[in-house]
Amino acid sequence: MNQMIRYASAAAALCKRDFLMFTGYKLRLLSTLLTTAVSLTLFYYISRLVNSSRIGSPDRYYGYVVVGIVILAVLSSTLATPVATLRQELLTGTFDRMVLSPFGPLRCVLSLMLFPLLLSMLTSVFTIAFASIVFGLDVRWPVALAAIPVGLLAAISFAPFGLFMAAALIAVKQSRSGAAVVITVLTVVSGVYFPVLLLPGWIRWMSEIQPFTPAVDVLRHLLVGTALRESAALSVVKLVVFPAVLLPIAIWTMNLAISLGARRGTLSEY
Amino acid sequence: MDARREEGPASVIETPAQYGLDDPASLSEASDPLVRLEKIEKRWCRNQPPVLDCVSLEVPARSVMAVAGRNGAGKTTLLRIIGGLLVPDHGSVTVCGLVPGRQRGQVNRRIGFLLAGNGGLYARLNVEHHLDLWARLALMPRAERREAIIETSATFALAELRGIRVDRLSMGQRQRLRLAMTFLHRPDLVLLDEPYTSLDADALAMLRAAVRLLRNRGGSAIICSPEPEQAKLAHDKVFLLEHGALVTAQ
Repeated sequence: MNQMIRYASAAAALCKRDFLMFTGYKLRLLSTLLTTAVSLTLFYYISRLVNSSRIGSPDRYYGYVVVGIVILAVLSSTLATPVATLRQELLTGTFDRMVLSPFGPLRCVLSLMLFPLLLSMLTSVFTIAFASIVFGLDVRWPVALAAIPVGLLAAISFAPFGLFMAAALIAVKQSRSGAAVVITVLTVVSGVYFPVLLLPGWIRWMSEIQPFTPAVDVLRHLLVGTALRESAALSVVKLVVFPAVLLPIAIWTMNLAISLGARRGTLSEY
Repeated sequence: MDARREEGPASVIETPAQYGLDDPASLSEASDPLVRLEKIEKRWCRNQPPVLDCVSLEVPARSVMAVAGRNGAGKTTLLRIIGGLLVPDHGSVTVCGLVPGRQRGQVNRRIGFLLAGNGGLYARLNVEHHLDLWARLALMPRAERREAIIETSATFALAELRGIRVDRLSMGQRQRLRLAMTFLHRPDLVLLDEPYTSLDADALAMLRAAVRLLRNRGGSAIICSPEPEQAKLAHDKVFLLEHGALVTAQ
């Protein structure tokens, strides 16, 4: 029990560090929220041009995209941001200290996801509230709270991908661009901006082999009432099964990357 | 300087009285070495000579070892192997009876490692944030943490700097912070890679005091520096790393 408390304290310390570094630049939160607001405004006016039987009215498309933006923020928090932070740790020589800490490199890398995740939750609330207040997005407020645990579950299901990217960064020093490519591909195949049914058949299978699609589907259903592609229970099971299978593999890969780095002497290289 | 190649694991010249040990008798009681290196070999390229060639060393408790050598001689490689940041091609390493890399968590609790250079700090965090962060990453219990931070801050005269951001500290002050982070969790073994960088006479005295405290509680230190005499630190033994071999410098 004491050990768990110390682990939690160490993870919280890294989260606090990221918070302090984020807030160290006074306008950073403001610029983050402003970027989100601009994006929401842009998509609002694009949605006015959409009139499709596959989606429905412009308002329905707007709701569709807003939830896509929310889940994209959660995905980035577990996939892109920790990899960028890890890259920074390698550049400043602080990753060595993580490897040398009793908390260990694996737990440190996992903890790098905490602050970005909390920040993504904050920006998600802002996104929904802004779209609702400014553009009249019809949010199902009574069930919207259920989106929080689903969002967290989604983040956990994306975490193995973040670990794979971190392992690639440690092993080959080049994975930021890889993370960007993965996010872009996931954006296309999981229906962030348009329904996956519009995808050609030969690529549609990709929407089924990752946890992003069920996460988008359930969150969209909870927040704006979009019809589910499959039952909510099945989607939630997918969100549980994906990390249950992938997380041990990702942890093994991460440990392998560290062992490889120690053997080749490249742990400190960047 | 007369240098000779070690035939077997190097041992320590035990002269406890000169270092002001609280209990000099216990030095001879410490039978198991804190560090044991056996026939360590490491090479970076197959067609180049090894940077460490059949290096053996034993570091008992309550000892301070210095490793000297020219730039690129392999001093940092040696320390990184002991710290588990590098795996040797051949040979075995144990630290407190544990294998670095394989029992990383347990080894890391026992070692403090000052890496060479001036990295390892976050420019926009202040001194207190750093000490708190590394105390927590060292998994120190809450009560011990506070006490250790106060004690280490006092040892390296950081108390008055605790609210100042790292990017506003001088290089010497940053080095004191890095040293404080190394000693913070009360490790049994301290690995210091070029620790004298940017330190003035007062800071060197602080480092000497920290090493003395470490010895007094039964710990050991291995210090790598091109010129170990520079710090006027009392070493039990000075080694020279030359052409991949660890030799005793007399």
